[in-house]
Amino acid sequence: MFQIDKPRPAITEDTQPYWEGTKQGELRAQRCRGCRHLWLPPAILCPKCLSEDVEWERLAGRGTIYSFIVVHRPQHPAFLEDAPYNVAIVELDEGVRMHTNVVECANEELAVGMPVEVVFEKIDDNVTLPKFRPAR
Amino acid sequence: MVRHTGYREREYFTMADLNALRDRTAIAGIGLSRFGKIFGISAMGFALEASRNAIEDAGVERDAIDGVLVLMPPVMGEQHGWASRVAAHLGITPSFCSTMDMGGATPIGMIQMAAMLIHGGMCSTVLCAFGCQNSPQGTLPMLFGSEFSIPYGDIGAITFMSHVGRRQMHELGLRSEHYGQIAVAFRAHAATNPAAQKRDPITLEDHQSSRTIVDPLHLLDCCLVTNGGGACIVTGADRARDLRQPPALVSGFGQVHSSEIIKPYDNGRGGGAEAAERAYRMAGISAKDVQVVQLYDGFTPLVVHELLAYGFCTPETVGDFLAGGNLGINGRLPSNTAGGLLSEGHLSGFGHVAEGVRQVRRTSHCQVPDCEISMITGYGGAPHEAPPTVAYTVAILRRGG
Repeated sequence: MFQIDKPRPAITEDTQPYWEGTKQGELRAQRCRGCRHLWLPPAILCPKCLSEDVEWERLAGRGTIYSFIVVHRPQHPAFLEDAPYNVAIVELDEGVRMHTNVVECANEELAVGMPVEVVFEKIDDNVTLPKFRPAR
Repeated sequence: MVRHTGYREREYFTMADLNALRDRTAIAGIGLSRFGKIFGISAMGFALEASRNAIEDAGVERDAIDGVLVLMPPVMGEQHGWASRVAAHLGITPSFCSTMDMGGATPIGMIQMAAMLIHGGMCSTVLCAFGCQNSPQGTLPMLFGSEFSIPYGDIGAITFMSHVGRRQMHELGLRSEHYGQIAVAFRAHAATNPAAQKRDPITLEDHQSSRTIVDPLHLLDCCLVTNGGGACIVTGADRARDLRQPPALVSGFGQVHSSEIIKPYDNGRGGGAEAAERAYRMAGISAKDVQVVQLYDGFTPLVVHELLAYGFCTPETVGDFLAGGNLGINGRLPSNTAGGLLSEGHLSGFGHVAEGVRQVRRTSHCQVPDCEISMITGYGGAPHEAPPTVAYTVAILRRGG
């Protein structure tokens, strides 16, 4: 049967350490060695001070739901069979925010401010997506 | 060396120079193409039809046009030399020509650029144009979103705006019914507009019972899908007075690209507030002087965001303001009097330009009495990309004598 795959991230030199981290069960973000700013998504230089002296840091993988939505009418056919599915923006304890799905939780149970923790979902040999579940 | 370190210091801004531009240029002509669920006409076809209509409306000689600005057509990816191709099809040899790419913020951005080109002596008369075919032939439609959101199924403008709505509900105590008031008001205006895609009046119950697209948004919180085009002619105010229509003077404008990472989800002050402050200051007015506004209304939460950003409401008052039906023609802030993106159709803001001009010409089907000052807003950029960047544009139009 004809099947449309879900879009996967294109891994580049800029983002490779992020995706390498998720494969190893680590959520990572970049921190500027100069001004100590922390950011996501990855970029080759610090958006605060433009320094390229950047290091990757392991995050605790804990945070709260900043926003969540439930998609009933997907914009891409590969997500049709998942609908209705949630997308959340999680604010991590370190202060950065990221898009994700909340798993192990009914959509009706989602709430702004809910504590969550990271889990890793292997998509293929290259890509492991960080997702979140209610904190235990 | 002057050190600019942050938002506060943007007060640097050389308002003296911009004040010299107040009322010096005008929108002399407006044109829309046929629009709606129309297939088999290309983006170029719509852009040309709208351009010709704007040229005719202005009564300007085609050969007087020496500047051409065209919005990058949506969903078709990058189109090389798009503006030059529009000019060539129109038999125009411009001395300045550019394709602009700010999404729904572009029409006002083009008017702003046209005013600067004219003020700087680079051009005398500038055509600003747009055409869109959402089902283009021979081009694969593009996905909106980044590699850090699309794999989670967070795709397109609607998911971004659903997050904005969720945060507004959380922070402002709004309910879905508040958003419904916006949809109902704009549909009532569209009912007076013969060209509008959706003219059947709706009720709050219709809004509530319309299907959920992306919770918390219902179908009637979402703009329409429109194939069509729009255009306008900008020229010097003196030249505009010699043309066919009463000029809509470009009294003030502001543009800010707010590129905070994920921060555009925050409501209230930010890039939009700054864009409006610039426009108000340039025009020498404040929000309370605005008699009618065309708010960029891709989704109903965007209208709430703009009411706060542009100084029409505070977080404490916006709920009661909406519940009181104040966006209607008889309300405190008549808005989107042609129906907006929600009900007239999605012309990426050219419908807003056309209606903002009609209001100061006093030729709207949903006319605000004695209109002297009309405001139009645009919103675009790439809010669904990573990092999200939002382009805000605001223009103040004044009735020209």
